[in-house]
Amino acid sequence: MSKYTPVIGLEIHVELKTKSKMFCQCDADYFGKKPNSNTCPVCIGMPGALPVPNRTAVEWAIKIGQALNCVINKHSKFDRKHYFYPDLPKAYQISQYDEPIAVNGRFNIITTPSSLRSATPPYIGGEFTNNNLLLTKEEYPKGEVVKKIAITRVHLEEDTGKLTHTGKDTLVDFNRSSVPLVEIVTEPDFENAEDVKIFLEKLHTIIRYLDVSDANMEEGSMRMEPNISLSMISDKAERMKHLPNYKVEVKNINSFNFAKKAIDFELIRQAKILDKGETPAQETRGYDDKKGITFSQRSKEEAQDYRYFPEPDIPPMEFSDEEIEAIRLTIPELPSAKRERFIRDFGLKENEAAILARERSIADYYESVFSKIKSIRASSEIENVEKLTASAIVNKRISISQSPDEFAEKFIETYKPIDVDQDKLSEVIASIIKNNPKQVEQYNAGKTGLLGYFVGMVMKEMNGKADPQAVQKLMRERLS
Amino acid sequence: MDLFGKTITELQALIKEKKVAASEVWEYFVKRSKRHNPKLNAYVSLLEKPSNPIVKGIIPKMELWGIPLAVKDNYCTKGVRTTASSKVLDDFISPYESTVTSKLKLSGYELLGKTNMDAWAHGASTETSDYGLTKNPWDLGRYPGGSSGGSAAAVAAYIAPGAIGSDTGGSIRHPSAWCGIIGLKPTYGRVSRYGVIAMGSSFDCPGPMTQSVEDNAMLLQIMAGKDPYDATSSPVAVPDYRSKMKTKRKLKIGIAREYLKGVEPDIQTAFENMVDVIKKMGHSVVDVSLMSPEYSISVYTIAQRAEVSSNLGRYDGIRYANNRAYFGQEAKRRIMLGTYTLSHGYYDAFYKKAQKVRTLIKNNFKKTFEDVDLIIGPNTPVTALKVGEFEKYPFFGELMDQLNESASVAGIPAMSIPIELDSKNLPIGMQIMGNYFDESSIFNFAYQIEQETNFFDVIKKGREKYK
Amino acid sequence: MSKSVHLTKEDVLHIAQLANLPLSEESIEKYQKDLTETLHYVENLDELDISKTEASSHTTDLQNVFFEDGTKETRKFTQEQATQNAKNIKNGQFVVKRLM
Repeated sequence: MSKYTPVIGLEIHVELKTKSKMFCQCDADYFGKKPNSNTCPVCIGMPGALPVPNRTAVEWAIKIGQALNCVINKHSKFDRKHYFYPDLPKAYQISQYDEPIAVNGRFNIITTPSSLRSATPPYIGGEFTNNNLLLTKEEYPKGEVVKKIAITRVHLEEDTGKLTHTGKDTLVDFNRSSVPLVEIVTEPDFENAEDVKIFLEKLHTIIRYLDVSDANMEEGSMRMEPNISLSMISDKAERMKHLPNYKVEVKNINSFNFAKKAIDFELIRQAKILDKGETPAQETRGYDDKKGITFSQRSKEEAQDYRYFPEPDIPPMEFSDEEIEAIRLTIPELPSAKRERFIRDFGLKENEAAILARERSIADYYESVFSKIKSIRASSEIENVEKLTASAIVNKRISISQSPDEFAEKFIETYKPIDVDQDKLSEVIASIIKNNPKQVEQYNAGKTGLLGYFVGMVMKEMNGKADPQAVQKLMRERLS
Repeated sequence: MDLFGKTITELQALIKEKKVAASEVWEYFVKRSKRHNPKLNAYVSLLEKPSNPIVKGIIPKMELWGIPLAVKDNYCTKGVRTTASSKVLDDFISPYESTVTSKLKLSGYELLGKTNMDAWAHGASTETSDYGLTKNPWDLGRYPGGSSGGSAAAVAAYIAPGAIGSDTGGSIRHPSAWCGIIGLKPTYGRVSRYGVIAMGSSFDCPGPMTQSVEDNAMLLQIMAGKDPYDATSSPVAVPDYRSKMKTKRKLKIGIAREYLKGVEPDIQTAFENMVDVIKKMGHSVVDVSLMSPEYSISVYTIAQRAEVSSNLGRYDGIRYANNRAYFGQEAKRRIMLGTYTLSHGYYDAFYKKAQKVRTLIKNNFKKTFEDVDLIIGPNTPVTALKVGEFEKYPFFGELMDQLNESASVAGIPAMSIPIELDSKNLPIGMQIMGNYFDESSIFNFAYQIEQETNFFDVIKKGREKYK
Repeated sequence: MSKSVHLTKEDVLHIAQLANLPLSEESIEKYQKDLTETLHYVENLDELDISKTEASSHTTDLQNVFFEDGTKETRKFTQEQATQNAKNIKNGQFVVKRLM
């Protein structure tokens, strides 16, 4: 039986939500516009047109690099990448080659035992080694593993036009041409599809936190292509030194789930070929989400000769330490730090903190809402406002699609301690017990689930004017 | 009123003083162009009507109001056919306006016509045009030079009072020398390239071609300046060229012997005579040593063709233009050489190496200009060749420009002025190279020479046949 | 790079393919000759010592030239302007032969 370790690297493109395009002042938001009406001489590649870079796009690329813990290159420039394709108007893409915005970054993901369980399944004929099964129990008592994913580079480039294939023709629309794209390339550090999914979700969250892109895979504002191969070397260091002699790129993946499915499919497909003693072809494959398979698209054997050279129309960029620092200071508190703070300062549960921190807008709403609540006198009787607010949001007890003021009102209404008529309560509990002897017998015999039944009846009798938790406690005491 | 031979400056005064109407000036040059173009073939397109509204009696306060100019056909002029003299763009009507012509428009100029050129500006003869050769007004059996041959011929025969060209490796200076007019390649970045069909992106310089130095300074004044749509255009302030031109400065002039090699005897003699004149005018003349122009030729050859191969990729016939089969031989040659030198495995050996030598050449000039104000020399090794003679010269275009290419490589400004006629009665041009953004010194010096010698009446003689 | 640089027919065909240029069979030899001649000429650069020289990737000394983020309508094309010079349009889009 052969043992294979997946070797997966990712190439991710993030569409920036700047106001204007990368090299001209057309709208970067091209959605829903009449074909070719969001164009100008520059982005449609007219003779004589010249590119001028968008400052904000450059700053945001640096910001993304910083969020990924990269080294920001103080000297950077644009290069021309040449190839012929109808959606590339100048027959070259202005991109970055040897002096990208950022290099050598690091992005850690946390995988949990449950995620390990849904890692690539074994199949008949071979199995996959999973070094991630070695849990470092001392550091992570819950069984989590931190995986360090190395980021090779982050660079800036322009998007192409859009192709539509219909009948005998292919139609081209340049509304999207030259929209800013940040390309993020990882080292082939991924060893299974689930990790890729976790990474993508985390990256999506971080990018949205930076407020530089919608990073939506379904809409195309975040695109991902994995490079996948299988290695027979189990030791990670050795494996990285002797990478497999082939790799397969998979295109047309447009959701996190499809990413996992496509990679899992591909790993099995490659393993079967390797089992026969053959090497999978180095190629580009497309993912068909309806059939759940990858299919061959074009041969990547002959590496494209892009004839890179420095873009003569755009002077190079030189960033000072101060400028780079100024950009770093605009990075908001990122999800993991926020999560930790919520747990530490507000005593939230881990999963609650994680849910709240996932979207910056929700986290901000949460914090603004409980400070609002706390500022209202009527709330002073409520204990653990932060925890209750978190719980209310996470369990969807109170809607967040209203203003913080309205939320606060609702909150106080719901959680303000009710003046309980303790005497009445006592009476009601007694009468319920008296009137339901059969159920009491069943409860005492072990049907503890009936407690809910009793509490419900008490609450009804009290017209809701009681605290269910307290009633439950009392009920338990009285029944025993 | 006889307008023949009037400079732009003179025409401006006449229009302003209401001695002649703008419409008359327009009619005059259109008539002359129509009359002489059949034999000169200076224009690819001639406009039928003036673009500015002529309102009787009203003269807007625009500097070029009523002044028709010929514009090289590689400038995108909105609503007007723009071909770069190539059948690839045979039916291309530009949907937008170049910055230079926009500025001229704002100054009130009239677009007289788009002039013939070497297709894509590839050449020094105008022979590679897909619309036929332009003839040298001095001798219709000879080339006008190139690639701005049409513009040079139009000004030399006075069918346009002035013209706009572009200079990448000598394309303004070379035809200016062969047609006996004044042509300036400004400092790279002095004038916006936005809307000029790109040839060599790091070399292309739009510039004026005129009959007088003052006209030239006046046009540059309008054309120059930073353009937010051209990231390589310079923010260096544009001085008042005309006022700086008229002070009689005593300048230190350098002559590089390296630039006298391989030059025809007549040209050598004419140049030496001019040097005597310059000395007599009170300027000091010293020898300087520059790197051999042959290195500039190699740098230019590699880098320009690499950029050309890249810039011409967009002509695929999908969004505009005809397909790539319409490219002429010279264009294909240049595209292929450029593609080769950029291709995998060759980048270091060619392009990168050329860009390193480019640094040496730039530094060489920077250092030399610490000692002198200007550097002069012959502009071309020979005068206008007979049609068909180019075949004799190996990769002809580049070697004809051998004395011009170093200024292009370095990015410094350079002007060609006519200094004499040779024994064949053909004009000889002298090149004046200046320091970065020091067009003022070039204008000043050229103006003094013009005042002193009137360029030996070369320009006057040139248009006589076309009176 | 010695003067033994000699482009073969395959070289020329490969270059033409990279450059997306149609070449007639008869012209290949001429291009071989012309291109090789040019490559020989530029070998004079090897005479210079550039071991410590930086490559001039740009002609000017400019740096950090940008446009401030923000849309401008003045230079935008209408669909009509963008497509007016194309030979094959359908519903405002450019048409090519089907790619896949």
